[in-house]
Amino acid sequence: MGRMKFLCDIDRCIDCSGCVVACKEGNHIPVGVNRRRVITIGQGKPGEKSISVACMHCSDAPCIAVCPVDCIYQREDGIVLHSKDACIGCGYCFMACPFGAPQFPRGQVFGARGAMDKCTFCAGGPEETFSTKEQTLYGQNRIAEGKVPLCAAMCATKSLLAGDADEVADVYRERNFKRGSGSNAWGWNKAYEKK
Amino acid sequence: MTNSLNDMRHAKSMIFIGSNAAEAHPISMQHILHAKEVNNAPIIVVDPRFTKLAAKATEFVRVRPGTDCAFIMGLINEIIQNDWQDKEFISTRVAGYEEMAEVATKYTPEEVENVTGIPAAQTRHVAKILATNRPTSLTWCMGGTQHHIGSSITRAFCILQLVLGNMGKSGGGTNIFRGHDNVQGATDMCVLSHTLPGYYGLADGSWKHWCRVWDVDYDYIKGRFKEKKWMNEKGFTLSRWYEGVLGEEKIEQYTPIKAMIQWGCGSNSNSQYNRVIRAYNKLDLFVIVDPFPTMAAATCTTDNVYILPCSSQYETSGSVTSTSRQIQWRYKIVDPINGCKDDYTIMRELVTRLGFADQFYKNIKETPEDITREINKGTLTIGYNGQTPERIKKHMENWHTFDIETLEAKGGPCDGEYYGMPWPCWTEEHPGTPILYDVSKPVAKGGLPFRNRFGLETTYVMSGRTEDQLAAEGVCNPDSEVKGGYAEFKDVVPGTNWKTDLSQKTIKEAIKRGMAPFGNARARCVVWTFPDQVPIHREPLHSPRPDLIDKYPTYEDKPNHYRVFTRYKSEQSPDLAKKFPFVLTTGRMVEHMGGGAETRSNKYLAELQPEMYAEVNPVIGNNLGVRDGDMIWIESPEGGKVKVKAFFTERVDEKTIFMPYHFGGTLMGESLIGNYPKGHEPYVIGDAANVCTNYGYDIVTQIQATKDGLCKISRA
Repeated sequence: MGRMKFLCDIDRCIDCSGCVVACKEGNHIPVGVNRRRVITIGQGKPGEKSISVACMHCSDAPCIAVCPVDCIYQREDGIVLHSKDACIGCGYCFMACPFGAPQFPRGQVFGARGAMDKCTFCAGGPEETFSTKEQTLYGQNRIAEGKVPLCAAMCATKSLLAGDADEVADVYRERNFKRGSGSNAWGWNKAYEKK
Repeated sequence: MTNSLNDMRHAKSMIFIGSNAAEAHPISMQHILHAKEVNNAPIIVVDPRFTKLAAKATEFVRVRPGTDCAFIMGLINEIIQNDWQDKEFISTRVAGYEEMAEVATKYTPEEVENVTGIPAAQTRHVAKILATNRPTSLTWCMGGTQHHIGSSITRAFCILQLVLGNMGKSGGGTNIFRGHDNVQGATDMCVLSHTLPGYYGLADGSWKHWCRVWDVDYDYIKGRFKEKKWMNEKGFTLSRWYEGVLGEEKIEQYTPIKAMIQWGCGSNSNSQYNRVIRAYNKLDLFVIVDPFPTMAAATCTTDNVYILPCSSQYETSGSVTSTSRQIQWRYKIVDPINGCKDDYTIMRELVTRLGFADQFYKNIKETPEDITREINKGTLTIGYNGQTPERIKKHMENWHTFDIETLEAKGGPCDGEYYGMPWPCWTEEHPGTPILYDVSKPVAKGGLPFRNRFGLETTYVMSGRTEDQLAAEGVCNPDSEVKGGYAEFKDVVPGTNWKTDLSQKTIKEAIKRGMAPFGNARARCVVWTFPDQVPIHREPLHSPRPDLIDKYPTYEDKPNHYRVFTRYKSEQSPDLAKKFPFVLTTGRMVEHMGGGAETRSNKYLAELQPEMYAEVNPVIGNNLGVRDGDMIWIESPEGGKVKVKAFFTERVDEKTIFMPYHFGGTLMGESLIGNYPKGHEPYVIGDAANVCTNYGYDIVTQIQATKDGLCKISRA
């Protein structure tokens, strides 16, 4: 079986947040909860780069290791999902996550935060596939429909890639191959004065 | 666009000037980045701001707002001085070159540095990039047009491409990006005050042509006007219509404007918006047709305003013309909800109540197909006649058969046609014209020469030289019967020409002979009907460089400019910059669109960009004792003020303030939220940047100069 992965090509990301809005509109995510966000570094200066980040569906995911109620699990295809019914909203997963992926619908410092919400790779949740409960709690199940996640489907520049890891790697490898003597050839700009 | 978004994949270099495509046209970026990655094409971004597009550039050129023309003429001069111009192209397809080149010599790299702030070495460097990476695709947007010399700036862009020989070539062209899926269509239909649809103008012959198309009696139309002369007079423009209401400037009309309909208009994109608001409140009747209440609705304190809820684009159908001149069919997805009506229904009910539906709908039984058919019938000037509703829908159904780079269908039901039949599409068999002025292909297969629009020969006033305006011997499309330049076609059907012959026999005759109906001429560098026959720099009306005003003064005042007295010389003062030391420029952000009525009413977009702000360089902020995130007042010389949050960033330099223009709903710091219909308030509101944009209008088109005004700022 394939292994699902995200890849954000930072040479292509233009910080348009199309992925963020596609995710929220398509999955009916409340305002304040961000399954995906775009981070920009060096804003307004030469070298400015942007990257779109969500749950990366890690191998040996730290969130699974720290969850006290074992509500987070990894599917065979690598997608990390969780049960909102079982989640107690303790926030340990958020502290363990290197990408800041887990989100909580109620944001008070003390008291209940509500069940954790995060990117599902548009693969629904533990409920019955295409059931109303799955849709309500987790959003669309596009993987079961044979589609890529909404964010990647909507990406204007095809910066954000999602799907089977081998396929994603192939697309990126081919893209880098075509870039040829361009952006990746260190020193060429200086040495040969093309630009 | 002379080429298409897809064709930009073939560019060997790209220059963007006054365009922030990464925010304003994000989808185009997939083609732009393709050329960068696959062709190793340099991207040059010329802008006062280090934009998100600049972040993807290989060369960022920071230009002082309003000095684009000086920079481009400097590039032209540098190219000619180094003998990099395309001599073959110029000698066979360009007119007025010598006269233009003479003017360009004044723009040495050092003088360009003095005017624009661009280092002389960088002008030389950019010229070399363009010379050694051909073809170049050149893109401009409103950063290039919204100046009092906007018409000269855009002409300079075109001349640069002629000098480099980049016109009519795949990967080259002047590629002006239009805002959304039908801005080009709206332009082609001339929703403007100085011309009938299809750029026919307002001459008697133009009216008679359209009356024949509409099947309406010419005398009936004439009778609708107070006097016949008003049929041929240019009207008020969108940028200054309110002067016709306020009565504060001298107008050339027998009556003030009393009523107004704004149909899909984000009115807070109007400069001097505080004056616009006063005009709203002086109108006898003001009707707003929009899916969301616009800021205009909230600014009216009188009971003169009516809001007609209109459907969105997903709730109606019809043909639309994209930035690449491609025509597509927009299909309806859902029915309008909550009592909204689509545009066609609102128009029909209005026209019926006004009592001329019998005349208005003579050709229109099936909506919207018959509307497209009427456009097909009459818009011959730009070849809208081949794109029938049936063909458009066929293209939509078979879009997967078209090549992503060339737009040509490879096999299938549309074999050999170009996607969306980019205009001109001369006949119902014509494949469309994917690249304008491309003489490498037969006209019948999508080729095209330059149009013969300005006579057969001209004597230039500046040089006394007389020049043939037709293309040189040997320059023509393959299969052309005439092997060289030729005039436009007329009298194939006696008394008509290619653009007035409704039988379209003239057009078919031309195509059959391998020729373009509009002739085969040269593109001109000298426009003898413009105040500046060759583009030159003139200091912005409100210049931050008083020392340059004498050398590069503005125009004389223009008494009747689209019916309004317009100040130029009497407005330009060297003292203004002392009180208003910063340059104010405006632009777009990716999350919001136009006046923002729609996007600020979308909770997710509102969440992403919830607050109005001004980009301020930290040096300016610190010198004024303002901290990042503080509220500041920005004030224009006209007395417009906005209260906005200071956003410290080096995107702008130490002389320039930038504001996005999508916000509305507050006025000079006061909320108008109570004036919106209950339950229809936008999620986020803020001061409209255009309250602060300055006086200033293009000398030819009267477009507002929103990109190079002056302002002062203080702590709020």
